[in-house]
Amino acid sequence: MQRQSFRVMHPGIARAIDSIWVVPFFLFCIIFEIIPIIVLIKDSFIGPSGAFTLVNYAGLKRPVYMLSFWNSIRLSAITAFFGTLFGTFIGYSILKTKTKWLKELLTALANVTTNFAGAPLAFAFIIILGENGVVTLIFARILNLHLYPYFQIYSYAGLVVAYTYFQLPLMILLIIPSFAGLQKEWREAAINMGATTYIYWRYIGFPLLAPSLIAGFVLLFANAYGAYATAYTLVASNLMLVTTQIAFVVKGEVVHNPALAKAMAAVSLLIMGLCIAIYKIAINHAAGAEK
Amino acid sequence: MKDNIISKIIFLLLFVVYMLIPVLATYMFSIAVRWDRTILPEGYTLEWYLRTFQHPYFIIALKNSLLLASYTVMVDLILIIPAAYTAHTRLPWVKLQMDLLTILPFGIPRVVLALALIAVFTVPPIARSPFLLVSACSVFSMPYMYRPIANSLEAMDLRTINDAARLQGANSRQILLYIIGPNILMGVVNGSLLVFSAIFAEYTLAVLITGARFKTLPMLLVEFTRRDGRIASAITVVAFTIAMLLSITIIFIARERQKVQRIKR
Repeated sequence: MQRQSFRVMHPGIARAIDSIWVVPFFLFCIIFEIIPIIVLIKDSFIGPSGAFTLVNYAGLKRPVYMLSFWNSIRLSAITAFFGTLFGTFIGYSILKTKTKWLKELLTALANVTTNFAGAPLAFAFIIILGENGVVTLIFARILNLHLYPYFQIYSYAGLVVAYTYFQLPLMILLIIPSFAGLQKEWREAAINMGATTYIYWRYIGFPLLAPSLIAGFVLLFANAYGAYATAYTLVASNLMLVTTQIAFVVKGEVVHNPALAKAMAAVSLLIMGLCIAIYKIAINHAAGAEK
Repeated sequence: MKDNIISKIIFLLLFVVYMLIPVLATYMFSIAVRWDRTILPEGYTLEWYLRTFQHPYFIIALKNSLLLASYTVMVDLILIIPAAYTAHTRLPWVKLQMDLLTILPFGIPRVVLALALIAVFTVPPIARSPFLLVSACSVFSMPYMYRPIANSLEAMDLRTINDAARLQGANSRQILLYIIGPNILMGVVNGSLLVFSAIFAEYTLAVLITGARFKTLPMLLVEFTRRDGRIASAITVVAFTIAMLLSITIIFIARERQKVQRIKR
């Protein structure tokens, strides 16, 4: 009973006491998230003399850095496209699977394989698609299809194959709820009014699904853009990506200008911010979305 | 209609094959005597596991990874549970900011987070220390912890529950312990498992922040990928098996929760 009289004592005090519980969380976020990012962005605008400058961003025009951005963006876009395309069809096929245990098993497979990423994934692809890999051997011996030297796992094409592996299950898990948001009655109504399956998807299904597809695509794009472990294990320094370039500076393995790395990082944050903004807008328009 | 079914089956079959081959190949590689000249391994052995377990760095790296994941889960729990509960029950305007702050890490690539943290924390005891690594991992994993907890808090009608409990004469401690606690437990367990498996497999932050000073399992794996594929495959199997068990547990928890929700309706 005392406790309750204490709570009605003074709203200001009660609020102050409530706030105690959220302070550690906000303090932690400010110290380890907000301040470091602000300092990073600030540093990217500071030259060797300590004055404000755009020289670090001008430095990004050099071919090495332009190539890194181009490689990262292209790799992210291609694998996000594959992930979105195949993930959508596979997600739909899983949803339409009549057998319940099979449906749950396939969803579980997508769930479990999202964990197979990073270095272990890169290593697995070396085992199967390396020069003496088992899939390479099967292609050569049984199908008489020689992958090497045309294909290399330690290359751009190798990265596309490996990245698609971790994009696919993510898209499947993202898209299944969106398909579930398409009400069965809408399709029945369309068919009753004489629509064919094509007409239904072209004018009703796809437009309703489009926001989810866009949301999925940008999420996969951001996912691939930020990936580092897979890329480093597979290509190391053979191929320049934004993340591997920044990592080289952090590790001190390559003598780059740290301020340039910060400018690269700041541009990356801008790209990520754009992705999140598009994601937020798209998800708000998605059919069957929770919010 | 028949074509439709066949194309679906082909899609699913290709999907299963694409997803399973790398995993199965790694498991098989780890018990193969030699597997680079023939389609099937030239024999089976457990020697690579013996060698891996006997490797002085393996136990250290495994211990470091387990410690890192456990500490990160603890930090996330301590920071998020009280804050999320208070924000959802009494401070609605804080909830929006919390939602925002816990989405932010998704927009920060881990290499960028590492670069930013290293530039700010340059003083010796903290700079590049396991402490800084735990902090970085906690920031990065916050969304995984916050979402399930926030979801289970949102699933409850907290105000009605609170009023009802108070009418029955329960005090704050009892409400927290006997009503709120058990109801968000699923979210807490789910979040903890997600964070644990994410950090247990975390390579980027560890290699960039502490480097060789604090070797984790994924770091050891990358080293052996270049040196000895057989040891690397054994490490991969150990790491993936742990991750797989965790995610199967998460799936079961999610299913149980669905059942509970269905009963409630």
